[in-house]
Amino acid sequence: MTFAERMLKIDRRIIFAVIGLCTLLPLLYPVGLAIRISPEVKAVHDYIESLPEGSVFLLSLDFDPASKPELYPQAVALLRHAFKHNLRVIGMTLWLPGTGMANEVITRIAEEQGKVNGKDYVFLGWSPGGSSVIINMGQDLYKAFPTDYGNQPTKGLAVLNGVQNLRDVSYVVSLAAGTTGIETWYVFGKDKYKFELGGGCTGVIAPGLYPLLRSGQINGLIGGLRGAAEYEVLIGQKGRAVAGMDAQSVTHFAIIILVILCNVFYLSIRRARQAQGQGSHS
Amino acid sequence: MIFFRRQLPLLITLVTGIVFAAQYYVPHPASEEMLTTVTKWLQIIGGFALVLGVTSLFHLHAVKIRRKEPGWGYSFVLYAAMLGTIAVGLWLEGKETVNGTMTAFGWIYNFMMVPLQGTMFAILAFFIASAAYRSFRARSREAAVLLIAAIIVMMGRVPLGEYLVPISGDITQWILNVLNASVRRAILIGVSLGAVALSLKIIFGVERAYLGGGKE
Repeated sequence: MTFAERMLKIDRRIIFAVIGLCTLLPLLYPVGLAIRISPEVKAVHDYIESLPEGSVFLLSLDFDPASKPELYPQAVALLRHAFKHNLRVIGMTLWLPGTGMANEVITRIAEEQGKVNGKDYVFLGWSPGGSSVIINMGQDLYKAFPTDYGNQPTKGLAVLNGVQNLRDVSYVVSLAAGTTGIETWYVFGKDKYKFELGGGCTGVIAPGLYPLLRSGQINGLIGGLRGAAEYEVLIGQKGRAVAGMDAQSVTHFAIIILVILCNVFYLSIRRARQAQGQGSHS
Repeated sequence: MIFFRRQLPLLITLVTGIVFAAQYYVPHPASEEMLTTVTKWLQIIGGFALVLGVTSLFHLHAVKIRRKEPGWGYSFVLYAAMLGTIAVGLWLEGKETVNGTMTAFGWIYNFMMVPLQGTMFAILAFFIASAAYRSFRARSREAAVLLIAAIIVMMGRVPLGEYLVPISGDITQWILNVLNASVRRAILIGVSLGAVALSLKIIFGVERAYLGGGKE
C-alpha cells in the first residue's frame, strides 16, 4: 500500500482529534483577528439604530438548544442593542423546545440592561400552530397570546401600549434554525401585515435565504456565528461569538487543508494507476 | 354512509379552499374576522397534534419492547425520561422559575435537555470534517468547480481567511449574493409553482391522498 493510499484510509479518530484540537486551542489562547462587517448584518444593525425610542421590536427566537451556539449569541447582541436604544421588546418563539432558553436570554439581558418586565419588555412564550400563530398575531395579538409566559394578562401591559396587532410592530427579527422561521414570518406575516422584517439564522441555512435578502423581502440577515460576531462588533460589546471566531477560523482552515490533502492523495493514486495502465498496455 | 367518508370531505375541501384563497384578497372586516376564527381553530388543532405525537411515540416504543427489538431497553429509558418530565412539569404547572428560583422542571430543561441537544449537534462538526476528507474529491470538472467554490467560501467566511487572502471575502459575497441567490430563486420559483399546482389538485378533488386509501 502506497503512502497516499494509507493516508486516504487514515483512522477517522485522528481527524476527530485534529478538529478537536483546532477548536480547543484557539478558545484557550485567543488571537482576536479583525472581523469585517458584511452589508447584510450592518443592515439589521442600522435599521434598529434608526428606530425612534419607544418603537416596538419583536424578536422571535425560533430555534432549539441544538442551535444555541450560533443563534443564542445573535439573540444576546440584538437584545442588548434594542434595550440600549430603549425600544420596547416583545419576545416569543415558534419552537416549543426553545421556549425555556428564549425566556432565559430575554430575562437575563433585560436584567443586565436594567429593564423591567411588563414595562420595557415582555416574553409571550410559545403557542402551537406555527404560521397560524403569526396570522393570529397579525389579526389580534391579544387573542393569540391572552397571557404572557409568566401568566400575566397581556391586555394592559405598558410595553404593549398602542400595539393591537403586528401592523403596530416597527421591526420583527426571526432567529431561525430551519423551517417555521424567517420564510414563515415573511409569507404569513410581513406580506400581509406590512411590518419590516430581518433575519438571523444558522450558517447552514443562510445560503437559502439570500434570495429573500436580494429581493428585499428581508432587510438584513445575520448568518451563523460569523454574523453574531459582526453584530457584537457593531454594538461595541464583544462576547461569545467573537471569542468563537478564532476557533471557527482554525477549524475552517483545518477542513480546507484536509480537503486539499485528500485531493492530492487521490490525484496521486489516480495518476499512478493511469501510469500502470499505460505501462501494461505498452 | 359513503357520502360522509368521500363526498362530504371533498365538498368541505373545495369550499374551504376557494373561500380562503379568495379571503386573502378581501380586506373587509368580516373577511378578516373569518380568518381570525379559523386560524384560532388551527391553533387548537395544532395542540391536539402534540397529544397525538406523544401517544404515537408511546405506542411505537411499546411495540419495540413487546417484540424485544434491538435496543428495546432504551425504550424504557425513553419512558422514564418522558414520564418523569411530564410528572415534574405538571406538578410545577410548567413553570421553570418561581420568584426567580429555578424549579426542578427548569433544572431538567437547562441541565439535561439543553446540553444534550447541544452535544448532539456539536458532534456533527467532527463527522463533517471526516466526511469532507474522505469524500470531497475532484473526480470531474464540475466537482472541481464545486470544490474551489467551497474552499473560497470557507476562507471568506472566517477572519483568518480574510486576513490571509483579503479578496476571498468579496468573492464569497459574490458567490452567495449572485450565484447562489439566482440559483436558489429558480429552485424557489419551481417549488412554489409545484405547491400551487398541488394545492389546486387538492382543492378540486383531483388529489385525494389525504382521504386515505390512495388515489382514485
